Amino acid sequence: MEHPILFISIILEKLGLPIPHGPVGHTFLEQLCAPYMTYTWLVMAFLFLVSKLTLGNLEMIPGKGQNFWELVIGGMDDFFADNMGREMADKFFPMIATFALYIAVANLIGLIPGFMSPTSSLNTTLALTLIVWISHHIIGFKEHGLHYYKHFIGPVWWLIPLLLPIELISNLARLLSLSIRLFGNIMAKETLLAILFMLAGSFFAPLPIMILGVLVSVVQAMVFVLLTVVYFSQAQAHAH
Amino acid sequence: MSDVKKEFVQLLANYGHVGFTFVASIIIGLGGGIYLDQKVFDDRTSPWFTFIGLAFGIAAGYKTLLEILWRNKEKEEKPKRQD
Repeated sequence: MEHPILFISIILEKLGLPIPHGPVGHTFLEQLCAPYMTYTWLVMAFLFLVSKLTLGNLEMIPGKGQNFWELVIGGMDDFFADNMGREMADKFFPMIATFALYIAVANLIGLIPGFMSPTSSLNTTLALTLIVWISHHIIGFKEHGLHYYKHFIGPVWWLIPLLLPIELISNLARLLSLSIRLFGNIMAKETLLAILFMLAGSFFAPLPIMILGVLVSVVQAMVFVLLTVVYFSQAQAHAH
Repeated sequence: MSDVKKEFVQLLANYGHVGFTFVASIIIGLGGGIYLDQKVFDDRTSPWFTFIGLAFGIAAGYKTLLEILWRNKEKEEKPKRQD
């Protein structure tokens, strides 16, 4: 299949930096210049610059930019507080809101020709998921100490051989499903768009898929955030 | 976003991952069983751990399914109680 044109890769290639031709590079520099890495940096720079430009000086009467951010941040804050309580929402708002903004922008950026979604690489989504998975265990352990592990072994001792594997499997399944769902959805969208562009790009064939792509991007970002919130609140609340 | 659209997206977020979580549990259970059979016990116990792993995987899948249902049921009942 023809490679999609990624303008950052072309610029880097012109600058003489090695661009990996497979999915993963061999040398350290090649790995750093892999498209999903460069586009991750682009998304980070985009979020940083846009928020810096629109929120450079906060005013009492919000302008256009500040109004937008107040809507977004306020909406997310309400959503978190609804799902995991005021205290937890205040504590973890920076982390989860960063995830939400990053994933939403990273998903949507792939709809523009010449860009790719960093989330269409399993490396990115697995990294995000590992952070969530490890931190929900840390939250549980901090809240309940060793009692946290009691919910893995069930209510009575003779059910341990039955319940322990089930709980372990369902806990590990979170890791797998959270990462592969995001990766799979976005990768499918990207691949489908690339194929349609190649086949009938001049007849606007990718347009319907692009409309669906907007929906998928938003919903997947929301699923990730919602599940993060649910896992955190469950880890905090488990007190059998 | 209008209210209907918001609700639609929230419903998708709540239930859209049911299938995937179910499959992931089964795959992890089955994979663990196959690993035990082939790598740890060197095919001496095959196919027993594969079956046991599959059974546990399916059980874990149903457990996650029920958890999602219970969680959303609780959330739906909560606002009603406050009335």
